[in-house]
Amino acid sequence: MQLLYFLIQQTLLFMIPLLITALGGMFSERSGVVNIALEGIMVMGAFTSILFLNFTQGFMSGNLQLLIAIVIAMVTGIVFSLFHAIAAVNLKADQTISGTALNMFAPAFAIFIARIIQGVQQINFNNTFRIVEVPILSKIPVIGDMLFKNSYITTYIGFLILIIATIVLYKTKFGLRLRACGENPQAANAAGISVEKMQYAGVILSGALAGLGGLVFVVPTSTNFNATVSGYGFLAVAVLIFGQWKPKYILLAAFFFGFMKALSNSYASIPFLFELNIQSYIYKMVPYVATILVLIFTSKHSSAPKASGIPFDPMQR
Amino acid sequence: MKKFISLVMCLSLVLTLVACGQNQTSSASAEPAAESEAPQASGESFELALVTDLGTIDDKSFNQGAWEGLVKYAQQNGKTYKYYQPQEAGTNAYFETIELAIEGGAKLVVCPGYLFEEPVYLAQQSYPDIHFVLLDGEPHNADYSDYVTGTNTMPILYQEDQAGFLAGYAAVKDGNTKLGFMGGMAVPAVIRFGLGYVQGIDVAAKELGVDCEVVYNYTGQFAATPEAQSMAASWYNAGTQVVFGCGGAVGNSVMSAAEGKNQQEGSFVAKVIGVDVDQYSESDTVITSAMKMLANSVYDAISWYYDGTFKGGQTTVFNVQNDGVGAAMDHAKFDTFTKADYDEVYNRLKNGEWDLMNNTDNADPSTALTLSNTKVTYIQ
Repeated sequence: MQLLYFLIQQTLLFMIPLLITALGGMFSERSGVVNIALEGIMVMGAFTSILFLNFTQGFMSGNLQLLIAIVIAMVTGIVFSLFHAIAAVNLKADQTISGTALNMFAPAFAIFIARIIQGVQQINFNNTFRIVEVPILSKIPVIGDMLFKNSYITTYIGFLILIIATIVLYKTKFGLRLRACGENPQAANAAGISVEKMQYAGVILSGALAGLGGLVFVVPTSTNFNATVSGYGFLAVAVLIFGQWKPKYILLAAFFFGFMKALSNSYASIPFLFELNIQSYIYKMVPYVATILVLIFTSKHSSAPKASGIPFDPMQR
Repeated sequence: MKKFISLVMCLSLVLTLVACGQNQTSSASAEPAAESEAPQASGESFELALVTDLGTIDDKSFNQGAWEGLVKYAQQNGKTYKYYQPQEAGTNAYFETIELAIEGGAKLVVCPGYLFEEPVYLAQQSYPDIHFVLLDGEPHNADYSDYVTGTNTMPILYQEDQAGFLAGYAAVKDGNTKLGFMGGMAVPAVIRFGLGYVQGIDVAAKELGVDCEVVYNYTGQFAATPEAQSMAASWYNAGTQVVFGCGGAVGNSVMSAAEGKNQQEGSFVAKVIGVDVDQYSESDTVITSAMKMLANSVYDAISWYYDGTFKGGQTTVFNVQNDGVGAAMDHAKFDTFTKADYDEVYNRLKNGEWDLMNNTDNADPSTALTLSNTKVTYIQ
């Protein structure tokens, strides 16, 4: 049982950044703008917020510091994603290209600025944010051990974002309009919805969430930030597709990816798995193979937003 | 709306630029602190030069260790000195940076790290009058078909197995029986560290009459990744007491995992062994480090150059015989293992009591070594 709890705790570390970032991608794609710049936005969000942690360590610590860092990461993500929004919405540019440009720009920018400021590209931070156990809640059997011990406040924020995102997307006027713009922007336009505005909202939301995802990714897993999020932005895109652009499936996909990641790293400590003698490469491969299989079998009835990736042209009816 | 957004974008651009401007001024004031060690006068030439490997001069590893030795000699003997940082990784960039150092007046260039094997192979032929000190490698061409060490080049190798041996021995003598080794890429230096570490564990286990377990893995890269952190966390969770983080930033992942475990347990149960230099400053979890005495060897090499006894044309091996390797004791956090214990085992190793296996053909210690009291679990 102890092992299972440990595995779940590790899964959460991998899963939450994927979940948050993929939900961000969902808002953007549901509004009709493909956002493969998630990787770059994660790097930027992590960069500014870790820099903040670095500057304020010593006289600030704990979860207050982390919460401010979260706000900074989200604001950075928004500002950075606006470049994508302008290219995609105002200039009607190819969204893949502007996304790629941001992905290439972000790590270079982070290294450049980090070197100017402190001479070294690695930005160190003190991890004072671990919650050993949440009072009261950790006493709940099974769930308490899994979710409320040895965790981070960001884990709960991640689940909160999931709930809010689901409600916003399906239960609000805004969500309905956003989805309409992703499916048939011309019809939405004819119904009096400003497609540009909705697409801006989608991209800004994706920027805020991806920026936060970057911070959430770096904090539990290292002692410094080295201008990379190890391809987790692209992994989030895979999670988004695997999750068929729907929050509840995205949750499952993120859990699946996270669990396989955790398993591939810790299977050696689980006796019966180690005796099976399956190499860790197999565990590492499974999520990607599964993504390809899902794509093969669902591509005919893919629930991808129909207008995603196509610049909006009101004259095209 | 459009106007408002373009206004916001313009503002953000301007603010970024302003921010950059401020950064530059702040860095200008910080700069002298970093560079003040090198004489500042322009137009002056610098006799002793160091070209940095991947990373910066204050990397708390190879670059810094070598630089300290160079600075120590230069300051004692009034020589001019400077370091050069390549713009990017790769043989061409390293070679060009070596040329830059030579244009800057360098007579002796220190190249820390095996990545300099090819650049030095090229440079020793192009610049026969310049002397090169190559740490942790031997000059060879791009496809390893030709190994040439010019008379102007002094390659230095370390017997990492002895450093690993001392660290592993100390850890077991201090009462630990469940240990781990997390290497970076399975390059010869890392393999030697690992083999020596396991042999040290086995010898100490035999002396104490206990059985030890070792989990052993090469992560495949010299980087702090969530994967490495997660793996280390799973080892600590399974009861592993000490993990030897052997491979640059891999150690940071191990330290992060150890800090997490200690915080969770509220006691000092997860410990780390550092590598290359004394890494005690990186984390409170570091109990000792398997060290290469980089500063000593660079200092010796430079002094031999000025004495006229430069050992060019052949590889010099630094080991316990010439105090070139060791385990860090100055800031060690052992419970019972003392400096006297360390000196004793150090002398026994020096006197050749153990003939360590350091052949790197087989990177897996569970098959490469014959062990009596130690069970190695090798994770592919």
